[in-house]
Amino acid sequence: MASKKAAQKSLSLAPVLDLNEATALHTQLMGLKGNPLVIDASAVERVGALCAQVLMAGAKSWEEDKQPFTFGKVSDPFMKTMQLIGVNIDHLLAQEIRQ
Amino acid sequence: MDMNEIKEIFFQECEEQLAELESGLLKLNDGDRDPETVNAVFRAVHSIKGGAGAFGLDDLVSFAHVFETTLDCVRSNKLEPTQDVLKVMLKSADVLADLTNAARDGGSVDEARSRTLIRELEALANGETPAATEAPAPKPAAAAPKAAAPAPVVEKPAVNDEGFQPIPFSFGDFDEEPAAHYVPTCQILFKPKKDLYAKGNEAVLLLRDLSRLGEMSVYCDMDALPTLDKMNPEEAYFSWKISVTTDKGEDGVRSVFEFAEWDCDLDIHTIEEDVVSEATDDEELPMQPVPFDLSILDDGGSVAAEDEPAVIESDAAAAVAAAETASKVAQVASRAADNAKAAAAASAASAAQANQAAAAGQTIRVDLDRVDRLINLVGELVINQAMLSQSVVENDSNGTSSINMGLEELQQLTREIQDSVMAIRAQPVKPVFQRMARTVREIADITGKSVRLITEGENTEVDKTVIDKLAEPLTHMIRNAVDHGLEMPEKREALGKNPEGTVRLTAKHRSGRIVIELADDGAGINREKVRQKAIDNDLIAADANLSDEEIDNLIFHAGFSTADKVSDLSGRGVGMDVVKRSIQALGGRISISSKPGQGSVFTMSLPLTLAVLDGMVVTVAGQTLVVPLTAIVETLQPEASAIHSFGASQRLISIRNSFCPLVDVGRILNFRNIQANPMDGVALLVESEGGGQRALMVDAIQGQRQVVIKSLEANYTHVPGIAAATILGDGRVALILDVDAVVAASRGHSLRQDISLAATG
Repeated sequence: MASKKAAQKSLSLAPVLDLNEATALHTQLMGLKGNPLVIDASAVERVGALCAQVLMAGAKSWEEDKQPFTFGKVSDPFMKTMQLIGVNIDHLLAQEIRQ
Repeated sequence: MDMNEIKEIFFQECEEQLAELESGLLKLNDGDRDPETVNAVFRAVHSIKGGAGAFGLDDLVSFAHVFETTLDCVRSNKLEPTQDVLKVMLKSADVLADLTNAARDGGSVDEARSRTLIRELEALANGETPAATEAPAPKPAAAAPKAAAPAPVVEKPAVNDEGFQPIPFSFGDFDEEPAAHYVPTCQILFKPKKDLYAKGNEAVLLLRDLSRLGEMSVYCDMDALPTLDKMNPEEAYFSWKISVTTDKGEDGVRSVFEFAEWDCDLDIHTIEEDVVSEATDDEELPMQPVPFDLSILDDGGSVAAEDEPAVIESDAAAAVAAAETASKVAQVASRAADNAKAAAAASAASAAQANQAAAAGQTIRVDLDRVDRLINLVGELVINQAMLSQSVVENDSNGTSSINMGLEELQQLTREIQDSVMAIRAQPVKPVFQRMARTVREIADITGKSVRLITEGENTEVDKTVIDKLAEPLTHMIRNAVDHGLEMPEKREALGKNPEGTVRLTAKHRSGRIVIELADDGAGINREKVRQKAIDNDLIAADANLSDEEIDNLIFHAGFSTADKVSDLSGRGVGMDVVKRSIQALGGRISISSKPGQGSVFTMSLPLTLAVLDGMVVTVAGQTLVVPLTAIVETLQPEASAIHSFGASQRLISIRNSFCPLVDVGRILNFRNIQANPMDGVALLVESEGGGQRALMVDAIQGQRQVVIKSLEANYTHVPGIAAATILGDGRVALILDVDAVVAASRGHSLRQDISLAATG
């Protein structure tokens, strides 16, 4: 938040995004609000519904703020879990990893 | 309940379904054309397939699927269930059983055999059109990689299979006629509450478990999700609309939510897969589950595709889909409305079905030891009740009427309890007999003989332990009967017999024992050959003078085999002696009677262990004996004029102009040395295993009573001529007469001889 001119931030997600991780993730995201954000989900091995909610709420907030919110890298388990629970993040994927 | 237990239950159900399948197919084979029989057969295969799908048993699923496809053709009258068709089907049932066993015990299956059968089944399903031109059809390999949802993976090609003509389908008929493919699709509304997560449950895992049930598509409703700053990260915002096509039905789906259902809003209901595929096929959108709920459609084209749920949610895809279907949306909508109606009807139907199933076969599994303990206790109760009655009678001969009535009621109750308890352990021999049908088929195939197995009295009940141990000796004997007993078809024809040989397997209750008879109409025992072989093997002296019966019984000697060439099936020389030993180990007897050119009959008589017995309590030489009531035809008071001497020591009694040997029980059992005077006693006309009638002489009849059988072998030792013992009301032990042994002894050989024959033969 030091530079208000949309300095792109990045956030690397923890490998395990389970129920206990939701609050921490929420806090992390809140701290990054207002900036373009690239999320690195390449290390994610497990993701639960609560963290998925937080991420999607983040996407919503960023959209409201008209700031880009993208997933720079995603791990296979992350992608598959999102598909399993019917959460579509295709439009949030960085261009280079879109199929 | 862990996964293994569930799987175990599945396999138990499989066994039942396989039995159902086989008996249904055999009925069809016998010309039964009842649609309900065909349906039962179809259901059996279908259930196995469904269960196997849930456990990812791909081989089983793919085979069951092909089998089911062919059965479906029979069901829809496209395929006539001729003998040839049924032959393939019976073989397929065998392979299905093998696959089930392999899945349970990890054994291997004859793959070439199952592949051949798959081809044959497909050919049948395709009617005249040669197989596998347009329909490469579900190969096991195709199913294997997609372990997650095997059932639907193979389900799809079949629906599009050329072999299937689209069946005109009217929703109006739905109630009366179940659809061709009854694969229910469950639609689930799942809205977790905060507590669900707070208690450590994870919606992702629930969804994963759901996806394992079958083909699933998911729509995640995020409308409730606020922006980041307004959200509580531990609150539940997502909810899901899920549809799962699964054989497990609503119950299977519900079980996934078993531990979470209190912490979520859950709505599950079933709609029909058929309806869905019909609709989608028409719309040429075969891979898209139909929009079950129009509100989903309205939500911006978020019809979830099955492999990549929610992909279509992307605007571009939605636009394309919308364009493609635009003109047809109206139709879809009207169909969907019909769907809703059909769904309501279907769920009512399935509920009714579930009720029926519940009523038909709810079982619990109980440790056998517990049942045994209960049976023993009830036995004691019966004895105790008899003692109580007796002491009341003795102490107060008048007895107040209320005591007498109470006692009578007690007697009835104990009897009922006893019957019910015995029924727990008693099971029909049917499953064993059914296994024999398969044995016969296989051996007939290998030997190139044509054999028909006729079973009778499959519902005869016998103790579970007996049933378990019966299969092996029976299999052996059946093999022998087909391999050695029956002649080749050409030879039979030359002899003027039906080229198709008959093996008859019967079970019946006789004298408180179960008698199992195995008869073939083959060549009978070649006595000359048996005798020669026995001489060659030093079993008998070359000049021994043996009766036909004795020669026949030589085949029970260890190491005896008359087959010229040792085949794979039988004739390793371990045959009949092993059979005899297993039967004896069960406390049974086996005998053979054979007529050259007409076949042989093996008769096994086995005890109904732990059973109760209705017996006639009699006195013989001061001893109390019990004669099983089932063996007694009638009782009579001999008159002097009816008694005739015959030979040195034999006597006959004339009953209604026929002569019947009179057997002095006291003499046979060595209770006394001299023959009793028939006029002083009572004659019990009995029917014995061998079929003949004998008049057993006893001194007096005390009365009829239900007695509890106590094994003499287990508590004392085997006594010739005595089947078991019981405890009477006065606490004394009474012996239960082995009528067959006594009758056999009266035929010339003494009881001792019988024993020695049994030991050596």
